[in-house]
This record gives sequence, C-alpha cells and structure tokens, in this order.
Amino acid sequence: MIKEGSVQLDSYRLAQYSVQVPCYICEGGNSFDAELCRHCFAPMALAHQANSQKIAPRIIAAIGASGVGKTVYLGMLMDILSRQSDRLQMLARGAFSITLQQITASALARNEFPHKTPNEPDRWNWVHSQVRSPAHRRPVDLIMPDLAGEALLEEIDHPHTYPVIRSLLSKCAGVLMLVDTVKLQSGIHDQDYFAMKLLTYLIELDNHPKHGWSQRPVGLVFSKADECEECFDDPVAYAKAHSAGLWQHCNEQFKRFQFFAAGVAGGCAYRNLPEGRVRVPLRIEPRGIIEPFEWLIDELRE
Amino acid sequence: MRVPKIRKRWAIVGASAAILAICAWIHLWFALGVIVVAGAAFVAKRYRIELRGGKAVAAQSASLLQSVAHAITPRSAADPTDTKGLVEEMLAQGRYALLLRKQVVSNLSDEQFERAREALSESMALVPEGEVALGPIDQALEDGKLDNEELALHEGKIVRVSALFLDRFPVTNLQFKEFVDGGGYEQMSIWDPHIWPAVLDFVDQTGAHGPRMWKHGRCEKGHEQHPVVGVSWYEAAAYARWVGKRLPTDAEWVKAGSWPVPLSPTSRMQRKYPWGDSMDRGRCNLWGSGPGRVVAVTDYAQGVSVGGIRQLIGNVWEWTSTNFGAGALHGGDFSLPSPMKSLRGGAFDTYFENQASCHFQSGEKPVARKHNVGFRCAVSMCDLVLAQVSVTDAVGPAAELHEHDKQEVAA
Repeated sequence: MIKEGSVQLDSYRLAQYSVQVPCYICEGGNSFDAELCRHCFAPMALAHQANSQKIAPRIIAAIGASGVGKTVYLGMLMDILSRQSDRLQMLARGAFSITLQQITASALARNEFPHKTPNEPDRWNWVHSQVRSPAHRRPVDLIMPDLAGEALLEEIDHPHTYPVIRSLLSKCAGVLMLVDTVKLQSGIHDQDYFAMKLLTYLIELDNHPKHGWSQRPVGLVFSKADECEECFDDPVAYAKAHSAGLWQHCNEQFKRFQFFAAGVAGGCAYRNLPEGRVRVPLRIEPRGIIEPFEWLIDELRE
Repeated sequence: MRVPKIRKRWAIVGASAAILAICAWIHLWFALGVIVVAGAAFVAKRYRIELRGGKAVAAQSASLLQSVAHAITPRSAADPTDTKGLVEEMLAQGRYALLLRKQVVSNLSDEQFERAREALSESMALVPEGEVALGPIDQALEDGKLDNEELALHEGKIVRVSALFLDRFPVTNLQFKEFVDGGGYEQMSIWDPHIWPAVLDFVDQTGAHGPRMWKHGRCEKGHEQHPVVGVSWYEAAAYARWVGKRLPTDAEWVKAGSWPVPLSPTSRMQRKYPWGDSMDRGRCNLWGSGPGRVVAVTDYAQGVSVGGIRQLIGNVWEWTSTNFGAGALHGGDFSLPSPMKSLRGGAFDTYFENQASCHFQSGEKPVARKHNVGFRCAVSMCDLVLAQVSVTDAVGPAAELHEHDKQEVAA
C-alpha cells in the first residue's frame, strides 16, 4: 500500500551545498555539512571554528618515528596544561579536542600506554586549543594533530601518499621532533636517520630563505628520557654524544632549534600478550613536558 | 766625624751576613713548608690513585678489592680502645640501633643505654605484629574493609609481619652525610659483595663519594633536612647496615602505612592512605599539590600515619628490601627488563593519585640513582634489647622487652 505525504523542500540546503567550504589544512572545497575533508580527511570542525570565531589558528605538529611517544607527549601536555594554572594554560576549543587528553590520561592511570595511532587519517585525533600565558596578554590559538609515525614515514618515502601530512607540514608554524632516547642509548641509530629524513623533508617542502623551514622553530625532544638521567642533565651534550648526525644536521639547516629531554614514565616493564610484548609504565611522573612547548610558543610569538 | 774605613767594612760584612742569615732562615722554613705540602699532596694523590686503581682491578678481582677495603680505615676521630668515646660518636652519628643490639648493649653504661633508647623512641615508631593484605587491592578497599573473597578477586595476598621499628622520617641528607664522612663507602663489609665493583662508581657530580645530586661530598646548602635522593638500593642498604638497621620489607612498609585492623578471621579494615581512605592532597607532596620538588622531611605533618610515621605518601619514593615482581600489577603476565627492587609511597612528581596509595607498588633497578627515590630504615624488635639486662641475658636468644614496650605492642 502506498501512503501519500508531503515532503518539505529545504531549498536553503541546496543553496548551502552550492557554496564550498575550504578545509583549514589543505584548502580543498567541501560541502558545509562534511565531517571530514574529502581531500585530506582533516576534521572540517577546524575550518568551521576558524570561520565562526574569525580566528586563524596556527598549526604545530609533534613528529617522529612510530612508537617514539607522540601521542603520550601531546596527551600528557594537554592534561598538564589543563590542570595547572601558574605557567601556560590550555583551553580546548571543541569537544573533539579533549579526546586525545582523555585517551592518554585514562590509559596511563591504568598503567598502560595508549594504543598506537592508526595510519588512517580519518581516525587521528586533532586538538584545537587556546593557549594563554601570564607573560603575554594575547592568547595563541593552536591546532595540533596526533599523527601516525608510520604514515609520516610513508609520506616521506612516497610523497603525496598522505596529502594531509604534506598540507599540514607546509602550513606548520613550528614542529616538535621526538627522538627515542631508549633506542639511542642502546646504540640503535634508526631514530637519528629518521629524524634527519623528516627534517630534510621539511626543508624540501618550503625552502624559502625568509619564511621557509630553515627559519621556523624546531624543538628536538628526547622522549623516554626517564631511562637516561644524563639526558635530563644536559640534552645538548647528550645530542652531541649520542646523536651527532642529527646535531650536525640541525646546525647546518636550521636557524632556530633547541634540544630538550622529556619523560612520562618513571620506569617500565613488559606485559606478555599473545601478539607480543607490550611496554607498560610502572609509574607516571612527567618531566620536561612543558618546556619544549613553552619554547615553541615563545618562538612563535617572536 | 769620619768613620774609620776598616770599621765601615766590618759593618757592611756584618749587615750582609745578617741579611743572608735571615734569608736562609726564611728559605729553610719555606722549603720545609713546600716539603710538607708536597708530601701531603703526594699522600693524598697516592691514596686516590690506589682507590682508582682498585676500581679498575675490582671488576676483575673482588678479593683484591676486599684487601683494599681492609687497607682503608674509616675516618673516625675516636680511639678504638676508648669505648665511651666510641659510643658517644655512634650516638652522634645516629647509630643508636647498633648500640641496642644484643651483642653490643652490654658495653653501655646505664646512662648511655637510656640515651640510645630515647633516640630510638624519638626517631622510630613501633609497628605491631600482625597480618597485612598486599597487592593491587585499592579498588576492593572502596568501602574501607576487605574480605578474603575480594582479596582473591584482586590478586591480593595476606602476609604476616613481626613487630618492628620503622623510621618516623625518611633518611635525610644530613644523616647520610654522617655515613659518607664516617667512611661508609670505604667499609666494604657493609656492602653486598657482588656490588663491590660498582661501589667506586657511586659518586656525586664532582666525583666524590655520595648521592648523585651532591657536590664535593655534600648536599646543596639548605637541603640538609630534605630526604636523601639519588642513592641506589645498594647505598640505601649499606647505610641501613651502618646504622644497625635494615631496609623494611614491602609488607612491613604497607603495614606501617595502612595500619590493618582485623574484623574477623576472614575480614579486615585497611587504610588506602596513612590518614584514611580518601586522598587529601593537602597532606602529601605530590604533583600539583606541592612545590614540584623535594621538601624537608618535617613538612606535611598532617599526613602522619596512625603509628606516628611521616611522609609515607609523597615527597620521595622509598626503597624496600623486597624484589619487585610481576604480581605487583593487575592482569596478566609481566616481565621485567632487569631485576628490580620494590618502591613504595609515590613522590613529589607522582601524577596520578591512585599511584600514591599505600598499596601501589612500583619498581626500579637496584643500581638506579633517581632524583625522586629515597629510603627509610627499619629494625626488627626482636633484634634489639630494650631493657637494661645482664650480659648473659642480653646475648640470649630472646630480648626482653620493657614493660612500656610490651604495652605498646599489645596496643
């Protein structure tokens, strides 16, 4: 049996569909109700917030090899900044910006590290936040994605595989490059080479002498430094001693760079699972998390 | 008037001789001074060279190190034959527990014994014997009590603890300096033999013996009452032996903090924190509640336990004598990258409250010298003589308790 009924014609919707909304990351056109950019899979909420609040957030990224600790670093940074008020303060813009913090803090409180970030860009966590500091009157709006290390490596080896990474790093105002101290300490130099590859990729992306990557700030963070106290004592000396190639590369290619040490876990053990050994933290005592970010923000203000 | 020529010559010769004599005298003293200083420097250098040489050889031969250890005498001011002076020095160094040992107590006068006892009473708190539940049982303690079913569900276990004394405060920099100045790092008999090769590596930032954060064999000025940090488990154990004590076991530490009270044969009350069952950040130095660094051991007095022990939670993690095992964590099979010793209590930079409870256990490599790990000492009650008795009684199998101590244990 066929029922008759009236369907309201939402003509205004047709009008809205005819206007393309550019993605904040890749600037590709999207329909107004798209959740993710159809070109690069970045969340369209970033563009909508920028348009509605008439702001132009700056983009920074935490980059580094897979398993270096990007998710833990960003999640912990957000949690610390949202809990303390004497130094920098971070205010999340949009509910989606709290997801990364929530996932990280919940896992660490259970003595686990958060799951590995998937390679698919549509499953990445993005953070849009406003950062205030007592020393500066004007707040800074920031966009920080939690990138997958394997996707980064894939994009470097095969450019244009991940358009979102290329667009994002082109627009980035600065980066925090994470290097695994545990691997460096054990004499494995993969981290060193990967970091140099990434830095070379950045220079190739934009080599303009005035506003290219050579002029943008790069914070080099030795992650998991809790396993190596000497790294905390003097990160620069540690870089010279254990990562000489990276140290030399930065000196030659970048004008604004600084070495830091950071750690979240006080000690680690391994949980034996059917799929293999998984590293678990024995206690959480963050060190050196804020300093690289604080330095980067100060550099961006300049 | 003209002076005769010959007299003038004699005057010049005399004056020259006098000047020469004075110069010679000065030179003689100067030369003597140089010889003394050079000799002292040579001896000091020789002493260091022997130590460093010992370090190189130690890795190959422990027996040689032992001979080095015997060759080095502790820097003690007291004459070994002067018993009274020795006792006074040990009391000043805080080694009262050593004096109250059965084998030593007979050498004390009544007055010295009483002073040692007072020092014990002031510095250490009594933890009565009894059972304590161990394991990741915080969730089971939400209602403040724990029965055997809940315990099994949360992979906990019951351990029986004998009566002991536990330091009221963590060991301070000042106390540890007594150990360093008293030649603790050079008395190999108080160190685990297998760690001898590493002892010479336990140095401060200037290469002198001492905790990792110290410089020139002393802590930063104004930090004397801060808990000593940057010490390995072996250094903590050696200090404990030097003062006649030992590191507490895991069960003893938890019992002192959680103060269990049996309700029935299968059920008990046990605190999550020394002050009660809920976290109160005002009572302990944790991340976000303190100044973000180690504070003096006398701070945060409100966090005192029932037995009168301070700073069990927060400020610095504390080494215990127990091995850190896989059973410490929830759910599943764990493996450690290297053997670890158990840590308890959380530190000034512990981020999550659930990791700073009496039952949360962490671990660390025993040679690690972390910025936030200290220790406190314990001594079993049965190892001490707490009432002045005759020599034969003192060295007997069981130490007699003072009536007051018996009452304390009963309480």
